[in-house]
Formats: sequence, structure tokens, C-alpha cells
Amino acid sequence: MEATFWNRHTETMARAKLDALHLHRLQALCHFVYERSPFYRGKFDAARLKPGDIRTLEDFKRKLPITDKSEFIDAQLAAPPYGPTLAMPEALVAHHCETSGTTGKPLGIPYTMYDTERYGESWIYGMWALGIRPADTLYFAFGWGNFAGFWSCYWGARRLGCRVISGGGLDTKGHINAIMRMKPTVLISTPTFALRMAAVAAEMGVDVSKSSIKFTYHAGEPGPTALPAMRERIETAWGARAGEMLGIAEVDAFAPSCPVGDGVHVNEMNDFTWSMDPATGKEVPEGQIGENIITSYVNNAQPLLNYRSHDLVRRRGSCACGRTWTKLEGAVLGRTDFMVTVRGTNVYQTAVENLIGEMPEVSNSYELILTREEDNDAMTVKFEPKKTVSPERWPDLANHLSDKIHKALHVRLKCEAVPPETLPRYELKTKRIIDQRPKEFRRALDR
Amino acid sequence: MEQCIEKIRQARALLAAAMAACDTPQIEATLRNADRELHWALWNLGEPVSLHPELERSRTG
Repeated sequence: MEATFWNRHTETMARAKLDALHLHRLQALCHFVYERSPFYRGKFDAARLKPGDIRTLEDFKRKLPITDKSEFIDAQLAAPPYGPTLAMPEALVAHHCETSGTTGKPLGIPYTMYDTERYGESWIYGMWALGIRPADTLYFAFGWGNFAGFWSCYWGARRLGCRVISGGGLDTKGHINAIMRMKPTVLISTPTFALRMAAVAAEMGVDVSKSSIKFTYHAGEPGPTALPAMRERIETAWGARAGEMLGIAEVDAFAPSCPVGDGVHVNEMNDFTWSMDPATGKEVPEGQIGENIITSYVNNAQPLLNYRSHDLVRRRGSCACGRTWTKLEGAVLGRTDFMVTVRGTNVYQTAVENLIGEMPEVSNSYELILTREEDNDAMTVKFEPKKTVSPERWPDLANHLSDKIHKALHVRLKCEAVPPETLPRYELKTKRIIDQRPKEFRRALDR
Repeated sequence: MEQCIEKIRQARALLAAAMAACDTPQIEATLRNADRELHWALWNLGEPVSLHPELERSRTG
């Protein structure tokens, strides 16, 4: 297990020492943002709080206001590009990225040169734990654009000393051809795009399980840690070990997958996290599901303190791998904004996805259609049988999926088969939930 | 590990002296990058270093 540590010294640091370090860094961060960030100075002043009032970790969690992405977007829109959220001289901003904008307007993300190096370093912990080494060659199967996730992976690959091959603007067949020609050892992509590539390769008569790829590493959506069925499909399709980085574009690549395979570890050198009950705002204890609240130490240009992730997680303090860094079991268990209550039952997108993934005759593309029926939220699962399944069998598959969901989630959902390859495919930010409910019937977190 | 940390601190002090005496932009940039890496090493050893070395440098020109 020793070989899986990128920095054994800190990845196994005692909890008391980690907490003391967090307090020191959080206090310094509070002084920094109060002095340098008009956005956060306003937050402190509104709460009648001074940086010196933060004397314990509990003070930080309870006294410092929670911040949300929408506040940053509004502040930037009022005074573009960064407005009062910028905490460093603009001359020190070395790189600009943006969020994808899938939840509304994109958020601008400024980085100093040092920010990019530190963000990149965050990726290396997970790469190293998976087995990726400087001699490996990483193939990036995505269009670069301004998306922070894979830029930061690139920064990490450079720091580690790996060779980088960019797939750039190639189409899916182009990616397959490039991989077979250049023989990279690591595929970097979203998890669903890795499966899409494998499917297209099969149509081309190429068996990617026999390609040069030894590892696949993923980000951008629930991956092999959150979805065991996804892991099995990717690892089988590519004949490779799959890993995952849990990150938030504007925060950090803050939690690499654990070598044990059942969760991710928060990078406690770069980030401080705790879990909050999204309904009450109070901290929830270890072992219970709560929303992950993050503070990053490594975004100097645009600091983020007590920042809502909207990710629902269950944290543990210890792990068989030996890391003391907080473990998030199963990575993200759901989203506060993607959790839907259907006839009194909380339904998470990832839970349905896992059940679909267990059906070998069904593709991994699906949609969850939310509607309002008889004063209840209702959900219809649209799924695709594979081409090899005759249409006569589609109703049986629909019934089988409905039964699986009922057994696992204790709610009966309508399931509807649609012709193969008719649901949309995405390279980034796959959209699975189609919310057709009237706005007034959506909870605040769903809007 | 203590010995390693002490050596890194000494290296930063040497770099600071070299930067102060340097009037070549290219060499000053490389020394600055080297100091950033050493700051990062101390950070990742859990040492209580500053959050923002680049800001301190910009203040001192």
C-alpha cells in the first residue's frame, strides 16, 4: 500500500495535527479575505464578524456565513469580469476558466500562476494512488475550452512529468484512431464519454480492451467510485483500472478516489470540508448524509470559504488504505438540487443510474423525466435497449427495470424504452434530469 | 523530516538573497519559480508558511 501514497507524511497525518493545521490556515485565510476580497469583507461585516473572532474550527463553521455559487455569479455580473470576488491584483491573474453554465450563467474563475500549480497538484494524489507514474502518457479526450476540470488535470500531468496528448477537437472516431496510433497509457475523459468511445470503437471493429490504455481517470460527473456499475463497464470495456477525481471547477480537484475503491479522500492539505444539513444549516456528524461545505486554501485569486457544493456526502474518519484524510463514502451520493421526492421517497439520480447499469441489455444513456401528477412529483425513466434486443422485448425490459427500482428504492417509477441511440450523448456535463414540473412545484433547491 | 524542512528553509533564504542581488529578469523569474516550489514543499509538509507568497513578492516589487 506504501506505493500508493504521493505524500505519506501528510496523507497519514494524525487528526489532531491536521485540525491544528486547518485552524492555522483558516485563520490566515480569514485575515486575507477580510483585507483583500470586497465580497468576503461584506460577508464578515454583515455578520458583525472580525477575522480575530475565528478562534476554533467550530467558530469557522458556525459563525462565518455560508456562500453559494449564485452570489459569486451575481457579483461578477454586476462588475465583470470578476467584480468584488477578486482578491489578488488583476496583474497576477495568470489563467481564466469558467464553469460550464449548466445551472445558469457561467462563473468566471481567475487563477494566479501558483493557483494553477496547486490545483494541478491536487490531481496527482489520485493518479499516483491508481498507479499512474511519470513514464505514463495521458490522452485527453475532450475539447479544452474554458473548462477548469481538465485544464487542471493537464497542470497536474505536467507537474508529475507525464507525456500529454491532446485529443482537442477530434470527433469520437478520431479519438479512437489517435489512441490506437499514439498508444497512450491513460485515458482522461468523463466516464460516460469513455463508454461512448468504447461503443464507437466496437462499431469500428476496434477492441479497446486490447489497446495500450492501462488506466482511465475521470471527472465531471458521477464516475466509477459513485457508480460501481460504471466502474465495471469502463474497466471491462477498456481492460484498464478506472479512477475518479471529485472536483468542483471553481474550488479544487479536492477529492481523489481511494485505492480501496469505495470512496474518495478529501485533500486536506488544500481544502477544509464539513457536512451541513441543507434544511437547517447545522453540522451533521460523521456517518450521516449531509451537504459538503468546502473551503479552499489554494484559490488565492478568488477565495471560496464555507462554499456550498450541493453534493450530498457521507464522511468517515478512517480508511483501510491508511489515509487519515476524510473519506467520502461512495463519493457523491446525490445532489441537493437533483434529489427528487416521488411519493414520499427521495430518489437520487445516481441510484437509478446504478440500477440501469446492472442491466446488460440496456445502454448507459437514460433520462429521468420529472412531471407533476395528481399533486405528486412523478418520474418516468426513459432508457435505451441495445440494438441487439428486439423491440418485442422492450416492454419486458421496462417492467424488469421498474421492478428493480421498486425493490431497491421502494418507489414504483414508470419506465419507458426508447429506440437505441436516440437519447442525447454528451462529452461534458451529461444532463439526465429533464424537469417538466411547473416551477411552483419545484423546491427552492430544485429551481 | 525536520532536517529536510530546515534545509528547505535555508534554500529559500539563499534564493531570497540571490533574487535581491539579481538584475536579470530571466534569472529573477527562474529564482521566483524555484522559491514558489520550495514554499509548496513546506506547505505540503504541513509547515505553517504564508498563504500567499506571490502577493508578498508583488508588494515588495
